[in-house]
Amino acid sequence: MPDISQAFSAPTAVSQLDSALLHQITLMGNPDVQATNMDGETVLLDLSTGRYYTLNRLGSLIWELCTGKHTIGDIHAVLCSRFDVVPDRALSDLVTLIDQLIKEGLLQQERR
Amino acid sequence: MTMNTGEQPLTEYLFSLYGAQIRYVTASSWLAAPVNEFLRYFRQEVLCPSSPLTLYFHAVEHRVDIPVTISSSARQLAANVGVPGSDCPETDLPYEVMLDGERLIADFFNVGVLVVDSVQRRADGYLINPQTMPESLIEYLFHLALTELLRRRGLYTIHATALEKNGRGVLIPGNSGRGKTTSFISLLRSGYRYLSDDHPLLRDAGTYVDLLPFPIKINVTEQTVEFFPELRTAPARVLQPRFPKRAFYPEDIYPTSIGECCSPALVLFPHVIDAPHSHLELLPKSRALEMLLPQALLVYDAEVAKREFQVLVKLVQQVDCYRLHFGRDILELPQLITPLLEEGM
Repeated sequence: MPDISQAFSAPTAVSQLDSALLHQITLMGNPDVQATNMDGETVLLDLSTGRYYTLNRLGSLIWELCTGKHTIGDIHAVLCSRFDVVPDRALSDLVTLIDQLIKEGLLQQERR
Repeated sequence: MTMNTGEQPLTEYLFSLYGAQIRYVTASSWLAAPVNEFLRYFRQEVLCPSSPLTLYFHAVEHRVDIPVTISSSARQLAANVGVPGSDCPETDLPYEVMLDGERLIADFFNVGVLVVDSVQRRADGYLINPQTMPESLIEYLFHLALTELLRRRGLYTIHATALEKNGRGVLIPGNSGRGKTTSFISLLRSGYRYLSDDHPLLRDAGTYVDLLPFPIKINVTEQTVEFFPELRTAPARVLQPRFPKRAFYPEDIYPTSIGECCSPALVLFPHVIDAPHSHLELLPKSRALEMLLPQALLVYDAEVAKREFQVLVKLVQQVDCYRLHFGRDILELPQLITPLLEEGM
């Protein structure tokens, strides 16, 4: 299985990402993570570490889409349709957040 | 040399906390007195015929006398190196918490060891020479063990002061030094009813959360005493020394009664500001939950923590949460808070 945190580790490499990979990797929350959305922000509690995190509105939308059904490409498309953003910038921010969530053990990835 | 650990015949003390039956068993007079004082509002003569939570506390002379073995598969959950010379000696003790099968083991090194067995609904405390310990330390260790057992019975402790007025509860969470006790006393002296100075309980009641009293002595610093005329002039038998603070029972100074189980309505997160007037800042609920979590949730058991997290979520959804920028108008705080409570009635 490819390691997305390695695949997307270099910030300047966003434009060089393998677009096929974006449409192969799905993401879902770790079952050990409790999440609640309040006023548009999401508070996450990792039951395996006791750590907690807060995601802003954009992060919350990304988290909600990490159901195991959507690929990174799907999530990127949703962000581009809902927000007035430059697609490359949206992808860069998305990948950065995914990278952090995976490193913290909050998200799991699967390749279709 | 043999130390006097206050040995007496093994004695059982009974308490009832909101449906949880408690048996406290000890053979040490040094361990009996502080716990009986701590749980004095919950004493029972007999227990109902249900499975009680049992806490055995043992006085030992030496660390090697503690009959606790830890298996090699035990997993460390938390550790603290302690803060020497802290003004809060109980909460700044060095410790290591381990999960060993079903047993939660909290090792306080030269102070003692707590073992909580959730399956057996039993906790054992081994305290080294308790006759040399401040009563507040014995109370603290007992409360830790009790809290862990109660969490498994759906009663969750939150590190906050709590009051009630007309059936509506106010919670003031926070670490020491942020104005928690001072704001609490300011409300108490204006007629709010007392729920707890640090250990109120939350209970899941389905779609909402109940706030339950856990009345104990109120601990105050000398600085807090100076803010309130009735504390400054209180006799020493009422405002008793309790290193490093002083302590009193609210009913000895204020004509308030103990509040009742109520619906929490407000959560205030105080911090002291250098300004003449206090003011409130409404907090987003996500921020309030983030600030509440360290005051309540310790993840030792994932299933219990999951339930407790949901209770805290319900609490935050149920209440309005404010950051209290607490100025020098300490005695006028009720004029700021009471209208908020009355708005929701």
